[in-house]
Amino acid sequence: MAFTDESDVFGSVHEDGINLVVRHLMRQRPSLFNYATTTFAARPDLFCRPIDAAPAVLKAQNPLFTEQEPLPVFGAPFPLGIDFCVQVTDARVDFSPQDIDLPHELGELPPQSFAFRTSACAGISCPPKEVIDEFLPWVERELLAQQELAVGRVEEGRAAQRSTARLPGAGRASATFGAAERSALATKPGLALEPVRGEGRPRDTVILPTRQLQCFCLDVFAVGRFEWGSVPGSEQAWLKPRLDGLEIVDLGPQPLEDSLECYVTTVLRLGILPQLMVPTERLVLDITEVMEEQGLKLGKQVRLEPSSAPADVPHNPAVEDDMLKVFAKLTVSGGA
Amino acid sequence: MAHLTVALSENVLRTSVALLVGAVRWEKQGAKDFGAFSAGYHVKGHLEGGGVDLGSDGSIEVKELDVKWDRFQVTLGLDVPEICVGGGCIDLPWPLPDICLPRICVFSGDPDISISPDLAAFVAQEISFTGRIKVRYFDAGAPPPPGFDPCSFLAQVLSGTGVLPPTPTTNQWQVFVDPQSIDVDLFDFADIVGDIVEDALTAAVEALIPGGWVRDLILAIVGGVADLIRFVLDIPDEIDEWLSDLFNVSFGLLDFLAQLVAELFGSCVPVYRIDDPFEVLPAKVTTSVLLSGAPVTLVPVEVPVRGLSVTVNDVELVVQADVGA
Repeated sequence: MAFTDESDVFGSVHEDGINLVVRHLMRQRPSLFNYATTTFAARPDLFCRPIDAAPAVLKAQNPLFTEQEPLPVFGAPFPLGIDFCVQVTDARVDFSPQDIDLPHELGELPPQSFAFRTSACAGISCPPKEVIDEFLPWVERELLAQQELAVGRVEEGRAAQRSTARLPGAGRASATFGAAERSALATKPGLALEPVRGEGRPRDTVILPTRQLQCFCLDVFAVGRFEWGSVPGSEQAWLKPRLDGLEIVDLGPQPLEDSLECYVTTVLRLGILPQLMVPTERLVLDITEVMEEQGLKLGKQVRLEPSSAPADVPHNPAVEDDMLKVFAKLTVSGGA
Repeated sequence: MAHLTVALSENVLRTSVALLVGAVRWEKQGAKDFGAFSAGYHVKGHLEGGGVDLGSDGSIEVKELDVKWDRFQVTLGLDVPEICVGGGCIDLPWPLPDICLPRICVFSGDPDISISPDLAAFVAQEISFTGRIKVRYFDAGAPPPPGFDPCSFLAQVLSGTGVLPPTPTTNQWQVFVDPQSIDVDLFDFADIVGDIVEDALTAAVEALIPGGWVRDLILAIVGGVADLIRFVLDIPDEIDEWLSDLFNVSFGLLDFLAQLVAELFGSCVPVYRIDDPFEVLPAKVTTSVLLSGAPVTLVPVEVPVRGLSVTVNDVELVVQADVGA
C-alpha cells in the first residue's frame, strides 16, 4: 500500500521522533523546563533532579533554569523568602495504539487519540529549627520597631539613622530592616540575599538559608484527540485539540487530587487548548506565493491544502500506528 | 518505522513539472564580429510538454520536454570588399571630346548589408532526461578526496559565480538527481532555413548593385551573388549547416541549454540539502530568564538527522528520516 493512495501528499511523524525532539529541547533549552530561585545557580546540587544539559549549553554558559522569586514568607515584617524549584523532568507523547501505561482512571487509549505524560518534580527549602531560631530575634525586633513607628514613640535620632540605611525603593515592610542588618545576615553561611533586580523590582528579599530541598514528584497523564469543528463568527473549519481526560497520579487526599485535576483540566480546556486551534487557511500552503518569493511566476493558483475528512480520507489528521499522519491535496486553479 | 515520512504522489510530481515547465521562460541575445561578416542573435523561448514517469526501478524520467522558441532572430551583416567600376577617360583626337566613364563603387559600407530573419517557426528542440535520486552525506570535517574531484571543482565554480551557495561549513544531507541519460537535440537547421537566409542575403546584395552595364560588369567580376556570399562567409557547404555550427559552437547556445539541464539535473549540484544537525529553534536573546533582566543569548536547538533516504517507486516519491539520539 502506497502512502499516497488516498491523497497527493502524505506526511507523518512517529511518536518516537517527537519524543526525541522533546528530549533534545529539554537538554538544549533547560531553562524552559526548570524554574528555581537564584540560590540554585551556585548550588545546582540542590535540584530535585540533576539537569542534563547539552555540552553546547554549558559551553555558552546559558542559564540552566529560569530564575524565580523566592516563595514569600507571608506576614514577615521584611521581605523574606524561601528557595524552591520546579522541574519538568520528562515529557512524552503516545499516539494510539497505546504504548504507555495509563492510570486506570483514564482507561484504555481510544483509537485516533493521543496520550501525554509529564513528570514534574518540585521542592522547597525547609529551614531547619536553628535557622528559624536565628531569624526569630531579627523578626521580633523588626516587628517591635514597626509597632513603635506606628504609635509614634520611636526616637527621632534612631529613625533618622534607620532611614539612611533603607534600601532604595524600600517599602513599609523594610522600613527599619536596613543595610546593616542585611549585611550581618549576609555573612551567615548559606544565606542568600537576592540581588537587586531590574526596573519594577522595588526591594530586596532575604532568602532563608537552604541546606537541602524537600522534593516531591508527580506524574500527570492527559488523553486527547483532534477534531474539526466550527467557531462562532468564523465560516471556515478549525482543527482543535481536545482534552478527554487528565489524571495526577498518587496525589492525596482524594479531594485535593480532584480539585487540582479539575483546576488543571479547566486551565487546559478553557485557557490553553483553545489557543492551539488552527483555522483551515493556516494549514494551506500557497505554493504560488512561495514560488513568487523565489522569483518564479507560476501563472496559476496552486495550493496544498488538507484533504477533507471523511470525504477524501477517513481521518485528517489521523492518530494511528504510533504516528500523527496528515494528508494533503494539490489544487490548481485558473490564473494567479 | 521512520520518524518522519513525506510522500509525494506521481500525480503531484507531474503537476509540479507541468507548472514549472509553464513558468520557465528565458531570453538571451548577443553578437560577434567575424571580420568579413558579423552575426548576432536574439532568442526568446519557453518549455512545453515534458511528461514525468516514476519507474519501479527507482528512476525518474522526464520525457519529451520541448524547447519552443518564441523568437529566434539571427542578424547577419556582410562586409563585402568594395568593387569599383568606371572612372577612366578615353582620349579622343581633336575636335572630339574625351569620353570619361563615371566611377561607380559598390559595397563601400561596413557592413554593406544586414538581415534579421526570425527563424522561430523553423527551430525546435526536445530534451529527455532519466535520472535517479541519490542521497549523500557531506562531512564538513572530512579531508578532500585525493586527486581531482570534478564535483568539488564544479561546486567551487558555481558558488564562485553566485549560482550556488558556498561550500557548507556544517555537515549536510544532500539530495542529488543523478542523470542516467540526458538527450538534448542539437540546433539542426533545415534546408529551408538555409534557403531563407541565402535568399535574404542575395536580395540584399542585389539591391546594392545598380542596374545597367554597371550591374553586368560587377556580376562579371564577382561571378554571381551566391558565390560572393559564400566567399564572404567562407562557407564550404550548405548554409544551413553553417548556421548550425554558428549557434552550436560559435554562440555556445547548445552549451547554454546543456548548462540549463545540468544545473537542474546535475549529479554534482544538490537539488535539496538539509543541515545535520538541523536547527529547530534559532538562537534567541531573552531577558526573561534571569531575574536581573540581563539579556541572555540562548543557543539554538538542533536535532541530529539520521538515515535520510529518498526512494522512488512507480507511484510515489518518499522521503524518510530519523531523529538522532
